[in-house]
Amino acid sequence: MFSYIVRRLLYTPLVVIGVLIVTFMLFRVVQGDVSAEYAGKNASAETIAEYRKELGFDKPLFINSEAASERGVLAVFDSQFFHHFKNAVTLDFGRARVSKQKVSSLLAEGAVPSLTLTVPMFLGTLITAVTISLFIALVRGSTLDTSVVVACVCGMSLPFLALIMFGQYFFAYKLEWFPVFGYEPGFAGAKYFVLPVLMGVFAGLGGDVRFYRTVMLDEINADYIRTAKAKGQNTPRILYRHLLKNAMIPIISKVVLAIPFLFLGSLLTERFFGIPGLGYLMVEAIGQRDFQIINAMTFVISVLFVLGNLATDVCYALVDPRVTLN
Amino acid sequence: MRSRLMFAWPIAVLMLVSGSMLGCSEESGGQNGSGGDATLTTRGALSSKVRGMDPMDIGDTTSSSVASNIFDCLYQYHYLKRPYELIPSVAESMPTVSEDGLTYTITLRDDVYFQDDECFTETEGKGRKVVANDFIYSWKRIANLKNVSKNWWIFDGRIKGFNEFRKYTEGVTDKKDVDYDRPVEGLVAVDDRTLQITLTKPWPQVVYMMSHLPTAVVPREAVEHYGDEFINHPVGTGPYMLTDWRRGSKIVFERNPNYREEFYPSEGSEGDKEAGRLDDAGKRLPLIDRVELLIIEEDQPRWLKFVQGDLDIGGIPKDNFDTAVTPSRGLTGDLREKGIVLEIYEDPATFWYGFNMEEPLLGNNLPLRQALNLAIDRDEYLKLFLNDRGMPARGVLPPMLAGYDPDVDSPFTVYDPELARKKVKEAEAIHGGPIPPIVLTMGSTDSVARQTGQWFTRAYQQVGITLEVDYMDWPSAQEKVKTKSAQMYAMGWVADIPDAENFMQLFYGPNASPGTNNMNYQNDEADALYEKLSVMEESPERVEVIRQMQKKVIDDLPCVFTLHRKAYLLRYDWLRNYKPHVFGYGLAKYRNIDAELRQQRVGR
Repeated sequence: MFSYIVRRLLYTPLVVIGVLIVTFMLFRVVQGDVSAEYAGKNASAETIAEYRKELGFDKPLFINSEAASERGVLAVFDSQFFHHFKNAVTLDFGRARVSKQKVSSLLAEGAVPSLTLTVPMFLGTLITAVTISLFIALVRGSTLDTSVVVACVCGMSLPFLALIMFGQYFFAYKLEWFPVFGYEPGFAGAKYFVLPVLMGVFAGLGGDVRFYRTVMLDEINADYIRTAKAKGQNTPRILYRHLLKNAMIPIISKVVLAIPFLFLGSLLTERFFGIPGLGYLMVEAIGQRDFQIINAMTFVISVLFVLGNLATDVCYALVDPRVTLN
Repeated sequence: MRSRLMFAWPIAVLMLVSGSMLGCSEESGGQNGSGGDATLTTRGALSSKVRGMDPMDIGDTTSSSVASNIFDCLYQYHYLKRPYELIPSVAESMPTVSEDGLTYTITLRDDVYFQDDECFTETEGKGRKVVANDFIYSWKRIANLKNVSKNWWIFDGRIKGFNEFRKYTEGVTDKKDVDYDRPVEGLVAVDDRTLQITLTKPWPQVVYMMSHLPTAVVPREAVEHYGDEFINHPVGTGPYMLTDWRRGSKIVFERNPNYREEFYPSEGSEGDKEAGRLDDAGKRLPLIDRVELLIIEEDQPRWLKFVQGDLDIGGIPKDNFDTAVTPSRGLTGDLREKGIVLEIYEDPATFWYGFNMEEPLLGNNLPLRQALNLAIDRDEYLKLFLNDRGMPARGVLPPMLAGYDPDVDSPFTVYDPELARKKVKEAEAIHGGPIPPIVLTMGSTDSVARQTGQWFTRAYQQVGITLEVDYMDWPSAQEKVKTKSAQMYAMGWVADIPDAENFMQLFYGPNASPGTNNMNYQNDEADALYEKLSVMEESPERVEVIRQMQKKVIDDLPCVFTLHRKAYLLRYDWLRNYKPHVFGYGLAKYRNIDAELRQQRVGR
C-alpha cells in the first residue's frame, strides 16, 4: 500500500500542472489583458502600461525568446506562464489585484467561515440522508418509501436560491427565530450559522437520500442480509453492522471526493447570510478577474482533490478486504 | 475617482434600484443602548465590498464613502447649503489665488493631528500634527508611476513640474526607491502651515479636487511602516478611526479622540430649520460615537434588515419598490407606521448609448444618429427598467449643474418614430443603400442587459434599423470602447464635482479614447468652447459658454441620450440631520440618533 501511495503522490504534480495550464489558458489567454480595467476610467496610456508591467502582461505568454537572446538562455522562462507556474509551486500567490491583501491571508481568513458553514452542512446532510435511506430501503415499495421518493424529487427540483430566500424571509424575518444576516467569529457567531446550515442540509437531502437509497437497495437483497435475517439478527444490527458496512464503498466515493470542495464554501449561502467565506471570495475574484486569487484557489482545490482521490482509494482498501492497492 | 463610469447600463440600473449609489450605501443611524450602553452607534449597510482604504488607490464609490470617515482633504462640502458650497476642512480658510489664477496659497489649521497609531514611533504612537509637506507627500504618492494610482488624472498636466516628477519615477526600478523629497516646482511648503500650489494654466476647479478623497492627507510614517498593507491600515485625520474590518462582512469605526474642533453648521438652506436639521447647530463633531457598516450585497437580506429596524437607512430594491412606494410617489402605509421616511433626490448623472464617431457608418451620418435618438421612448424605458426613477435626458448635463437647461432646444432627443423613419430614409440616401446592422456592445450578460438589448432591438426595428447586440463582460466591453472598436455602447457618467466641466470634458476632442471622450467626438468649435470654459471662473458668462458647447454636442448627437436618474432612499425617523448629499462623503460625523425614539419603535 505504501508504494501505491507514493506512486500516486508522484502523479500529483502532473495533475496540478495540468490544472495550472487550464487555469492559465482560461484566465490569461482567453480573458486577455485586464490592465485598462484595473487602471481606472481616467488612466493615461503610461499608467495602463505600468499596470500591464505589474500584472505581467508585458511578457510573452509562454516563451520569451527575445529575453533569451539578450539575457541568456534562462530568460526564456521569463514569460507569463512560467511566472504563473513558479508562483503556484512556490506557494507565492502574491497579493490580490483588487484588495491588495495577501492572497494567503485571504484564504486563511475565508477558510474558517467556509468550513464552519460547510462541514456541519455536509455532515448533517450525510448522517440524515444515510439514516433515512437505511430505513427506507427496509420498507421498499411501501407508501412511506413512495412518499419519501416523491419528497426527494420535489426537494431536488426546488432551486437552492428559492429555498434560501424563503427560509430567510419566513424563519428569520417573519418568525424571527434566527438572525437575518451576519457573522461573528467564534462561538458568539454560532447563531448566524444555524439557519444557513439547516437550509443547506434540507437542500442536499433530496439528492443524497435518493442516491443512498439506491445504494442500500443494491445491498438489501444480498445473500448476507438474508443470512443475517435467517440467523435471527435484529434490524439495527443488520442495518448498521452488515448493510451499512457493505454499502460503504459508494458512500466513501461520494464523501471523500466531496471533502475538498468544502473549502470552496457555498456561494449562495455565504452571500445571502453574510458569511465571509471562500465561495464568496472565489466568485468575486472571477467577477473582478482577480487572477491571483483564482490561481491560488484553483491550486489549493486541485491539490486537495488529488489527495482526496488518493484517500478514497485507501479507504476502499480499509473497508473492503476484497480491494487491494497495487 | 469616486465612481463614475457606467459602461454597463444594466449594471447602472441594478445599482440604482438596489440603492447602492450615492449615499444609499452610506452610513446610517442606529443605537445600541439597550444594555445601558450610552455609546451612540450608527448602523448601515454597504451593497458592495470595500476594495481598500488608501486614498491614493481609491476609485470607487463604496470605498470613498467608507474611507472618507477616516481621511480629510483640504476642503469639504458644506453639509447643508445648496447649491453645493466648499468650505475649509484641514485648510484654515479658502485659498488665496494670485491675479493670474496660477498660484494658490493655502494655510493649514494648527490643530489637525493624525490619529494615534503605532507607526508614530518617535512619539510612542501619539499622532503628530499635520504639516504642509504631508500634503505634498500624499500627492507625490499619486504621481509616483510605480504606485499605479488610478487618480493621476487629477494632477496630470496641471501643476508645474509635477509631470516631470512622474517622469522621474518612471525610471526608478522600485517604488520604495522614489525620492519623495525631490522638489516639484509647483508644490512648495512655504512653512509648516502654508502650502503653495503653482498651476501650469488657470484651473478654477482645482479647489474641488482638493476636496476629492484621493487628495486626502496621509502620514508618511504610516505608509512606510505598513508598506503595501497601508491599504488595510488606514491612518488619517478624520472624525473616525477604523477599529474592525472583516472583509465581506463588517466595518466598524469609532470616534477619533484626536479629531480637531469642528462644529455642526449653524446655517443651512431653505427648509433645514423646519426639518430640524439645525437642532444640533454648534455641537462638536462627530455627534455619533460609533459607525457600524454591514456588507450586504444581496437585496433581500439588506431589505429585511432595514425593515426589521437593524439598519437605519436603505435603498429600495426593484422587487420591493411597489410595496414601498405608492404610484403618487409617497410611502406606503405599513412603512410610514414604522417611522420610515422617503427621501427622493436628483442624482447628477446622465446615461447614454454612445456612438464611435470615428466609425464611418455612424460618424458620417447625422440623420442616422438622429433616427437612433428619435426611435427611443425614454418614458417607457424609465417605467420598464427603473420603476420610473428618473427623467428623460435631452442633453448632456443633468439637473443641478450650472448650465443644465430643462428647455434645451433638442428636437431629436424626443420620441418620434414617424420622424425617425424619415430620417432613416435620409440616412440611407447618404449611405448609398440600406443601413447595415448596427452592433451595440453591451458590457453585461445578465438578464437585465438582455432585456435592455431586446427592448432597443425592437425600438429600432420599428423604424427600419437592425440592431445586433453583442453581450460581453465588462472588461471586454471596456477594451472595445477604449480601442475604438465598439460601434455603439452603453455608458453613463456621474458627476465627480458640481461643475459642468466634468461632463463637457467627455466631448473634448483631445480626450478621445483611450481618454474619457469615448465617443471620439471631434468638433473644433466645441473644443474651443471647452478650452474657454475650463479656465473660466463660475459666472453667468461661463454658463452661457457651457450651454453653447452643449448645443454643439446636441446638434451633432454623438450618442443616444437616455436619462437622468433620481435616487430613492428610505430612512427611519430616529436618524437625525439626514440630508442627501450627492458629492460629499464622510458625512457620518453630522448625523445623529434619537435613541429614545429608536427604542420606542424597535425596542433596541
